[in-house]
Amino acid sequence: MKSLARLSHTLGPLAGLVAIFLLFAIAGPESFSSSSNLETIARQTAIVGSAALGMTLIIISGGIDLSVGSMIALVTVVIAAMLQAGINPLLAALGGIAMGALCGFLNGFLITRLKVVPFIVTLGTYLVVRGAAKGFAHEQKIDAPLTWLKELLAALPPGEGWRIVPWGVWLTALLALFVAGLLIYTRLGRHIFAVGSNEQTARLCGIPVDRVKVIVYVLGGAFAGVAGVLQFSRLTIGDPTVAMGVELDVIAAVVIGGGSLSGGEGSILGSIVGALIMTVIRSGCAQMGLPNWVQEMVTGCIIVLAVAIDRWRQRRRT
Amino acid sequence: MIPKGTTHEFWKSIHAGALKAAKELKVELIWKGPLREDDRDQQISVVEDFISRGVTGIVLAPLDDIALRAPVANATRAHIPVVIIDSDLKSDDYISFVATDNHLGGVMGGRELARILGGKGRVVMLRCMEGSASTVNREQGFLDAMKEFPGITIVSANQYGGPTTETAYRASENLLGPLKASAGKLTIDGIFAVNESTTFGMLRALQDAGCAGNVTFVGFDSSTKLVEGLRNKHINALVLQNPFRMGYDGVSIMVKHLRGEKVDRRQDTGVTLVTPENMDQPEMRQLISPDLSQWLP
Repeated sequence: MKSLARLSHTLGPLAGLVAIFLLFAIAGPESFSSSSNLETIARQTAIVGSAALGMTLIIISGGIDLSVGSMIALVTVVIAAMLQAGINPLLAALGGIAMGALCGFLNGFLITRLKVVPFIVTLGTYLVVRGAAKGFAHEQKIDAPLTWLKELLAALPPGEGWRIVPWGVWLTALLALFVAGLLIYTRLGRHIFAVGSNEQTARLCGIPVDRVKVIVYVLGGAFAGVAGVLQFSRLTIGDPTVAMGVELDVIAAVVIGGGSLSGGEGSILGSIVGALIMTVIRSGCAQMGLPNWVQEMVTGCIIVLAVAIDRWRQRRRT
Repeated sequence: MIPKGTTHEFWKSIHAGALKAAKELKVELIWKGPLREDDRDQQISVVEDFISRGVTGIVLAPLDDIALRAPVANATRAHIPVVIIDSDLKSDDYISFVATDNHLGGVMGGRELARILGGKGRVVMLRCMEGSASTVNREQGFLDAMKEFPGITIVSANQYGGPTTETAYRASENLLGPLKASAGKLTIDGIFAVNESTTFGMLRALQDAGCAGNVTFVGFDSSTKLVEGLRNKHINALVLQNPFRMGYDGVSIMVKHLRGEKVDRRQDTGVTLVTPENMDQPEMRQLISPDLSQWLP
């Protein structure tokens, strides 16, 4: 019964995604459902999607992270600087992810030690990390030599159709499976749900709440680091001003996907679907030639609508 | 056509010029800027969307001379020709580059500033944003012009106004702060700003501090407020580009190419110096406040 409930929880957003997609496929031009546009949608979702993996863990644990966009910018800058110094691209990418994890650790450390709510701590680090990115880059963008990193999220070259989508998208999908497994099958996963559902009870049950929280923020930072690697792959430069406001897209993806800001609820599949819904709306509006302001309003309405329907279904069930 | 943003008056003029060309040449024009103004990643998305939508040609004002290379290469691979306007792209995948000679614009602004100052004094320059090729060239043009005048010292040339009027306003205040003497006087004689937002931000900062008019100020681009500043003699001269023509030429060169004619790889759209003295001449009026309403929807 419980697994059935969980299933319907993720099926809701999925049904929404299918409905929105069909709407654009029927109302929009043919090019919308072409394979090259589907590939474009997958590529454009990868950045928000990979950051949403970490954000899902954070939101399930009852926290929030507003510093994700800043972390992505810092990571692109760090990678560009490392590449410029002649470091191997793989090491540079790993270094970027480590930088993200370090920022995440800072968040987790401050939240658990200072006992300040995550919203405030990460609002602070949102500025600190953005400032660090600008300072590190001397308020400029950093040009980097071209490496295979740019292929991660580049459009597929002709003759490589067998990959279906670029490696970066596969990487995101693989990581999503990994995190979903972690949430459902491991003790840490259950602890994260427990901490988010009721922190006091979790503490009384002997769950090391602070340690769980720090781990969750480190993972959140590491996934923001992955998003930063993908962002760098798209830009091919280190840009300290990129990803402004992306944290809100990431949070919206998790919330559309059934995550609850009061903690204890959320799923990886849901969050990925949430991220896809936003890209599909963006792409559909662009293909239909709707202006940007319409697109922004439509996305806003769908966020509220998606969550309202979700809550309504839950009330009916109980 | 893909601009860098849609709210600056500069882009509205480009849009109007493009619409005029589209109407005359009987082509359909789709106008779409990045969702977040001046966001490189968002502009890449717009190019990608246009490619999958299968447009016949793309006219692009790239936000970055490197980051936009890959999407432009993809367009060319999909047999969609690209014309670059306003800012250069470090690539060979486009058919033509239509823009102001920005270096010349910077030189003209610099010489005018030096002429008013009589070839001596202390000046500052407010930069725009790193990586935006057009403004970087203007800045370099200004600095090159200053080398011709040994009597002029450059007090500051390392401050950036950033992407919006608000950030430029703040940067101007910070720049002017330590340069204030008593009662509306500054310890500098001349100021040069490199685009619409930095010129307006600087104008506001000067007006707030009560220094406007007490210092020689040369700006770049025009808007209603800047023209007002020129009329009040708060601004001594503005270097004007011709965005209307840039939009017009961008579209007409694309159409020419699509119809199989040969096009020039570089098209200059000209710069003009406007001062309080010549601002009421008809050709200047046309540049300062072109009648956009007949073209814009």
